Amino acid sequence: MEKAVKTHRPRQAGPKAEKKKPNKNAEKNNPKAFASFSGQKADRTIRRNLDKDQTKLHVPLVDRTPLEAPPVVVAVVGPPGTGKTTLIQSLVKRYTKHGLAEIKGPVTLVSGKQRRLTFIECNNDVNSMIDVAKVADLVLLLIDASFGMEMETFEFLNILQVHGFPKVMGVLTHLDKFKDNKRLRKTKKRLKHRFWTEIYQGAKLFYLSGLINGRYLKNEIMNLSRFISVMKFRPLIWRNTHPYILADRVEDLTDPETLRTQPKSDRTVSLYGYMRGTNIKPDMKVHIPGVGDQRISEISLLPDPCPKPEKVRKTLSDKHKLIYAPMSDVSGILYDKDAVYINVPGHFSKRGGDNVDEDEQEMRGAGEKMVFDLQNAPETFADNIAKSQLRLFNSSEGITGVEQESSDGRQRRRWEDPTQSDGEDDGDDSDDEGDMVDNDDENLSADDSDDSEESDEDELDSRNAGRRRVRLVELNNDEGDDEDQIAFADSDSNLDDDDDDDLNGDTRWRQKLLEKVNNGFALKKRVNLMDLVYGDNPTDLNENNEDSDGSQVNDESGLFRVRKATRNTDRSLALADACKVEAKSEDLNQWAEESTLESLRGRFITAQPASATDEQGIGGEEAEVFGDFEDLETGEKVEGKDGEGGEAGEADAQTDLTKRKEELKRKFDAQYDGSDDESGAANMYESIKEDMAKQATINREEFMDDDVNLRAQVEGYRPGTYVRIILKNIPCEFIENFDPTYPVIVGGLLASEENFGFMQVRIKRHRWHKKTLKNNDPLIISLGWRRFQSIPIYSLNDGTRNRMLKYTPEHMHCLATFYGPTTPPNTGFCAFQQLTDNTAAFRLSATGVVLEIDKSTEIVKKLKLTGVPYKVFKNTAFVKDMFTSALEVAKFEGASIRTVSGIRGQVKKHVGKPEGSFRATFEDKILMSDIVFLRAWYPVKPKRFYNPVVSLLLSSKSEWQGLRTVGQLRRDEGLKAPVNKDSLYKPVERKTRRFNALRIPKGLQSDLPFASKPKLLKKQSKPSLMTRRAVVLEPHEKKVASLIQALNTIHKDKERKRKEKVTEKRAKYLKKKEADEATTAGKKKEKMKEFYRDEGKKRAREAAAAEGGNRKRSKRDD
Amino acid sequence: MLRFEGHNFFRQRLLLATVSNRPIRIDKIRSDDEDNTGLADYEASFLRLLEKVTNGCTIEISYTGTSVVYRPGVIMGGKVRHDCPPSRAIGYFLEPLIALGPFGKHPLQVTMTGVTNDNVDVSVDSIRTLLLPHLKRFGVEDDLELKISKRGAAPKGGGEIYFRCPVVRQLKAVQFIEEGQIKRIRGIAYATRVSPQMANRVVEASRGMLTRYIPDVYVYTDVYKGAESGMSPGYALTLVAETTTGALLSAECAFQPRRPTTGTDVDNETESKRGGESMLVNDYHFPTPEDLGTHTARRLLQEIKKGGCFDTSSQWLGVLFLALGPEDVGKIRVSALSPFTIQYLRDIKAFLGITFKITPDHSNQTVILTCLGSGYTNTSKKVA
Repeated sequence: MEKAVKTHRPRQAGPKAEKKKPNKNAEKNNPKAFASFSGQKADRTIRRNLDKDQTKLHVPLVDRTPLEAPPVVVAVVGPPGTGKTTLIQSLVKRYTKHGLAEIKGPVTLVSGKQRRLTFIECNNDVNSMIDVAKVADLVLLLIDASFGMEMETFEFLNILQVHGFPKVMGVLTHLDKFKDNKRLRKTKKRLKHRFWTEIYQGAKLFYLSGLINGRYLKNEIMNLSRFISVMKFRPLIWRNTHPYILADRVEDLTDPETLRTQPKSDRTVSLYGYMRGTNIKPDMKVHIPGVGDQRISEISLLPDPCPKPEKVRKTLSDKHKLIYAPMSDVSGILYDKDAVYINVPGHFSKRGGDNVDEDEQEMRGAGEKMVFDLQNAPETFADNIAKSQLRLFNSSEGITGVEQESSDGRQRRRWEDPTQSDGEDDGDDSDDEGDMVDNDDENLSADDSDDSEESDEDELDSRNAGRRRVRLVELNNDEGDDEDQIAFADSDSNLDDDDDDDLNGDTRWRQKLLEKVNNGFALKKRVNLMDLVYGDNPTDLNENNEDSDGSQVNDESGLFRVRKATRNTDRSLALADACKVEAKSEDLNQWAEESTLESLRGRFITAQPASATDEQGIGGEEAEVFGDFEDLETGEKVEGKDGEGGEAGEADAQTDLTKRKEELKRKFDAQYDGSDDESGAANMYESIKEDMAKQATINREEFMDDDVNLRAQVEGYRPGTYVRIILKNIPCEFIENFDPTYPVIVGGLLASEENFGFMQVRIKRHRWHKKTLKNNDPLIISLGWRRFQSIPIYSLNDGTRNRMLKYTPEHMHCLATFYGPTTPPNTGFCAFQQLTDNTAAFRLSATGVVLEIDKSTEIVKKLKLTGVPYKVFKNTAFVKDMFTSALEVAKFEGASIRTVSGIRGQVKKHVGKPEGSFRATFEDKILMSDIVFLRAWYPVKPKRFYNPVVSLLLSSKSEWQGLRTVGQLRRDEGLKAPVNKDSLYKPVERKTRRFNALRIPKGLQSDLPFASKPKLLKKQSKPSLMTRRAVVLEPHEKKVASLIQALNTIHKDKERKRKEKVTEKRAKYLKKKEADEATTAGKKKEKMKEFYRDEGKKRAREAAAAEGGNRKRSKRDD
Repeated sequence: MLRFEGHNFFRQRLLLATVSNRPIRIDKIRSDDEDNTGLADYEASFLRLLEKVTNGCTIEISYTGTSVVYRPGVIMGGKVRHDCPPSRAIGYFLEPLIALGPFGKHPLQVTMTGVTNDNVDVSVDSIRTLLLPHLKRFGVEDDLELKISKRGAAPKGGGEIYFRCPVVRQLKAVQFIEEGQIKRIRGIAYATRVSPQMANRVVEASRGMLTRYIPDVYVYTDVYKGAESGMSPGYALTLVAETTTGALLSAECAFQPRRPTTGTDVDNETESKRGGESMLVNDYHFPTPEDLGTHTARRLLQEIKKGGCFDTSSQWLGVLFLALGPEDVGKIRVSALSPFTIQYLRDIKAFLGITFKITPDHSNQTVILTCLGSGYTNTSKKVA
């Protein structure tokens, strides 16, 4: 026999393979040979390149990460036994040289000069996976290579995708389990490709080859840490619009006394963590997944427990390698629920007597000394206080606290009285206020001198200034209850009230003052505007009204009598809910003067070019105007200003010119570039990015110089800071069943997310979920920060209406509507039927996105009302059994109806009897046997059901049980689906219908026109002439006829014989065919038997392997 | 639930409640007023208007009408028709709609009838020439239209307007602090049921005052006749000054006949009191049209003197839209804060939690308002 020819296998490696490789530089070395001569080809290449460029573009997103970025959240996720804890331990060791015995809660550490990391371990609970997916910036996905990918991994990846898909790095562990190198390689490749299909082609997958001393290999961990440190993150939309905290410390602040008396009372809890996402506002509502909605009762900034190093040259020194893991045991510091324990070696109990050596005392550190000193104290602190004395006057005796209390038991209570304390505060303030007013007056007089029209009264003003000052101080001292920064406004009105009988001149200056106040600026300059607007005093707006309108306005909550008394003056547009402010006639009259009119010239483009900018223009104009009047003090000032202006003017003009030139150049450049650039889209992309960058710098710089309080007030608490949030009324189970291995997230809610409503979502059942989803079956939905159970109604839009569906369609999106907290459109969600662990199937049921929020829904299902005719006229019929009352019929008057045979009609009017029957008209006569039906749409309302998943409150957190599905209920109760007998199929019986002949009376027939007359003639009773007559053939004809008959007989006989033969042949053929088939079937049977035998063996092998794996797994779980 | 007291600032509280989706309760609405206890007719009408443009809102009014509980729904927009009572001008109802319109589910198309110009509320001309351009600055651009199809002067009204507003997903952050210099002045003088010459005389008078500064002063005269002229005679002038940076400063004034002071017609008096007219301090009965022209021009000059990029009557819009902007720094320069704006700032803080940084600019006596937007997105808009 001849041997099969072996095909040629070219060398894959070695020098020969190198030689045979296509030359990479060929194109470079010989460009002519590669030149394109085809215009079409060049065109195609260009197009393709442009297309490729376009695919690279993404919608630019604003990057809101601050300069002081919060630590990157690195979540370590994987099924149990894949080595999550070991990996974190190894990484922590690598970064900080600390050995962590256990990982509980987030571990924050400094990983480099610019970066901090927070590691969290995600346990094998869907609730945890969901929460982690919402906060993780980077996910280290651990896969046991010896086992392969597990269901949890895929579930987690799908949850990730829905919630924004942060960066994912895969880590293959347990590679040392492979004895066979080839199998190892193959497994790696297989897993890599599987991983790539889930993430993206070329996603990073790490291999951790084995353990040494319970840690992964050093260089592999180093590689991994390098990859983590260079990772860049794309902003995710949800996190870019919501503030959130991953709490790394939880403390119960409830009063111990309350706890003792009512152990189950709600708790006050403080949560600590780094602010992430956007700024959080002090009174924001937050959601803690697994607990519920809470309003922040207090938020405060804390010093960063794990700060970035200030100045580092090259590498981090050990001093900078900080670690902060309050819930794990880090180097002896153990944060318990309500206390911090410091584990210090040595003993600090006081030794008997005072005979401790001096040497030993010196050896102690400062802290130790303090501890000992405390123990040395002979008396308690309370005793000391009791002994301490307060001496009011030099001469008087000291009063001790104990005496006070004994003599006046209410002393303490008095301090708590808010009004009293206010009085105290104001008493303190009065001095300051006096000072403030003092300064103000000086300002005021300076201002006066600036104002042209007041020149004539300026003297008066300055004369009175001193007096007023005294007066104001007096007022404040006397009353002491003017508790505001806008003391000015208050005291003005007070002055008004008090000084009615004043001198004429005095009233004049007062009027002047009022005018100035009206102008708004005299006031605003010296009063802190923030305090004016946001101060605690709720009535000061009305006071402001008083100022701005110059008329008495009473507080609207004032007494009725008072309002009547001042009714005539009770006028202001501010009280009419109008944004207009009436100009006062005095103000308007001043525009009659030429000088006032001229003073405004600088505000117009027609102004002289000397005034460089408008502000300067005004200043210049004003200065000129002020030149008109003469005041000794201010004259100097004005001159000085002028002098400066003169010198500075030229320089200003110079800079202005250069500025203008630059502006022109920029304009020209922009225009030139714009016309030059053909790719408008790319240009737009660039410009949008530029705008974003510009806005980002504005955001960064705007509040840079403001103080911390103002910043907190205006901006809220910025991401990157470490804050403490105190929440009240947290269920006690949260503390009692607290487990640090479950992440606690505090997610900020926007204003619209606090409300409830119906959400329409686009939903698709997950293709790996085994069953279809049934309408009105509860689903657990993870949407926004929340996890909750709700009851969706599925529907599909058919172009005109949303029609309810009983089940989700296969391989297709449909709409679902459910009740829940409103979440902005375009937010992704995932849904589960159950969260418990006890299923091997894929738990993620569906994914989708929110489309629309509304307070009502418009889902309908089809409703057919049927009736039967009880009397039929030509086009009219009377129908019964469709409605039950006249009212119902009235509601449907004019509705279109149809018979089964397709004749259309209309409901006309109710007829008396039977009740609910009606007259209807049709386009044709209907049959009595027809069924008439009315097609209508019945609105379906989703149930208002919202059940938050409070998993964190449970002692066993993975066993949250919500509403069960109908199927589950039936299973649990052992019920069967109810059967409606009417819905069962019965054999269809169709009787043949007999129709009576149409008989038309003779009289009528004769009257009919010919066209309508029945054309059926009577059957001929006698044979016709043609049949009756005898035919005699000619001799020739006879001959022909007999011949043809003979021929026909021969032909027929032939045919018969042929047919016989064919039948015989066919029977033979069929017989043969049957035999053939029998043999082939036998062969096939044999083949299949062999195949199944093999298959069975394979299965058995696999089952054995799996059993072995499980055994191994369970061991590791222990 | 947020609680407020008093009838004042009724619109802005309801508006903010609707936008921020927070239920509110307003108590003591004219509870100590013997004659007109409780809600006024225009306030009730405003509530009805809100009901029309939203879906699912609930309004509970107490038996005496002195307290209102309002739970907002979803802003729907769409085609709406509203008849405004003659006690307040259309501006009273249209102002909040301008702020609501961009955040609806569907583009808002509203037809309103009533008084188009008076001295209490912002006239429809001002809204068209002042507020709408400001809206464009915040990114509400295409299909923004206000058409005045009929004029209606003060006592009886009978005017009609059509307002169309597109829907946006999010506003733009605005930094608008360059005042610029005034480059042109435009205006509209209308006259209905009076001699058309009145409008011309008003224009002449105002032009005479303003052309000394700048030649580019153009005041349109708008004379309505027949069915479009409403039910009462009247004329008014609206002036808008535009600066090189696009800032708009406006002033307006309408002729208002003096009411009989004898007080014989009691019903009439109470009606007028319930409107805002009684709150007017000045007398708007001008002996000649020239007086009205001069008065308006002077008010414009007053406004120009105050400066700022947002004038007194548009401050609230700037403030509100900054607070509703994306989470970026927005900055505007306004003239002195009016009491209305101050209360607006407070209410914004109560509803949206946004505090403004308010820095007075001493160089030209204006105020710079800075804030970090609340990152408000139009949640009622459908995903395309």
